[in-house]
Amino acid sequence: MGASYSAVGWNRQKKIYDWIIFSFCVVYLATFIVLTAIFNPDYTFETVLIRSTSTLAVLILHVILSIGPLTRLNKKFFPLLYNRRHLGVTMFCIILVHGAFGILQFHSLGNVNPFVSLFTSNTHYDSIADFPFQALGFFALIIFFLMAITSHDFWLHNLSPKIWKTLHMFVYLAYFLVVMHVMLGVIQYETNPVFIIIMIIGAITLISLHLVAGLKEARKDKINYNLKEEGFVFVCGVTEIEESRAKIFCIDKERIAVYKHEDKLYAIHNVCKHQGGPLGEGKIIDGCITCPWHGYQYLPQNGQSPPPFKEMVNTYDVKVKDNKVWLNPMPYAEGTERPGANIR
Amino acid sequence: MLITFISIIFIATAIYLAAGILFTIIFQAKGLSKIDEGVHGSSWAFKIIIIPGCIVFWPVLLRKWIRSK
Ligand code: HEM
Ligand code: FES
Repeated sequence: MGASYSAVGWNRQKKIYDWIIFSFCVVYLATFIVLTAIFNPDYTFETVLIRSTSTLAVLILHVILSIGPLTRLNKKFFPLLYNRRHLGVTMFCIILVHGAFGILQFHSLGNVNPFVSLFTSNTHYDSIADFPFQALGFFALIIFFLMAITSHDFWLHNLSPKIWKTLHMFVYLAYFLVVMHVMLGVIQYETNPVFIIIMIIGAITLISLHLVAGLKEARKDKINYNLKEEGFVFVCGVTEIEESRAKIFCIDKERIAVYKHEDKLYAIHNVCKHQGGPLGEGKIIDGCITCPWHGYQYLPQNGQSPPPFKEMVNTYDVKVKDNKVWLNPMPYAEGTERPGANIR
Repeated sequence: MLITFISIIFIATAIYLAAGILFTIIFQAKGLSKIDEGVHGSSWAFKIIIIPGCIVFWPVLLRKWIRSK
């Protein structure tokens, strides 16, 4: 929030996750290198390094891209979400080794600048079998680079959340480029189709996960709230909302979270100011609505982050009549104090 | 033809990034704490970790810095 920045947001849990990631990477790379030394002893060390890092990075990339839809399908996956940023930066560091050695091995020996050589040593841009697939990998690497260097909250604030989010959505373009880099690259030097099959299975898994999660979300948003009265819309019964928790209602395409806190109901906009996390999926901790993604907090009665923080979200009017909850979808300005609705 | 084109892009990128490095040196010393109050009391490791971003996104930071004056 507004407090002073630290270099890396580590706590006990994140440290454990990072150690797991780190150990996994080391074990993977070591196993790959040892197996290659046993079964393909004629490979050069550069080739082994290029192949072990590329496969590890692609594996991690699939995990990263699955986390979003998985958390929407099941809350158990939230701990992975907290750690996605570290996973992303780890992946970039690994694939940087692959890219650097790719350029070193294939483009640094001539008298042409390696970066120029990357695009011009093979100009069969109109061929499938000979396509200069390394150029595709290069553009993917640039996207991962831009994402990695902006992975600190400082950049979220200073580029603005909108631009930051847009930049990070380019991960899907990068993924597409990687798929093409592998497909077009592998057909040039491998007769074994196993790589292509693994990539296709990976892509199908990712697309299905995104579709299922997207459909689930869309179905929830489609519910029509028909009962209207003086701007208020009937949304649910009082007992359907648990104490210190919320229910999310999508009215006129806006998602609103209605929280129950100490015998009162309060409504705020569902979108966290940090990275757009779903505030209604969090809970009340120390009297504050706490975002499930990274823990930004807001006071239920006015949607303001407690001082010294300055984030604010829209608030809404709620009322309770005969144990029924009515919500007015007209937003008040961000941070406007609302009295809430007495349950009893 | 292609080689000339790629070379020009390469040189332009290099100049842009060189300007970014120059900017980052001055910015880290003088401007950083002016554009974002979260920087007060932050660690030196934080300042190092944002260096690559400063070199690449320097026009954004420059604009913010000028506006904060
Ligand atoms: C500057 C950027 C890149 C260059 C120059 C590059 C170069 C190469 C080269 C030369 C190969 C064939 C290696 C061989 O003979 O086995 C290759 C394969 C591959 N690359 Fe890249 N690559 C780049 C970026 C990427 C990125 C960003 C990814 C994925 C995140 C990636 C994933 C792969 C994979 C999975 C393979 C097939 C497995 C292998 O043979 O290593 N590459 N790349
Ligand atoms: S999205 Fe990060 S805390 Fe809400």
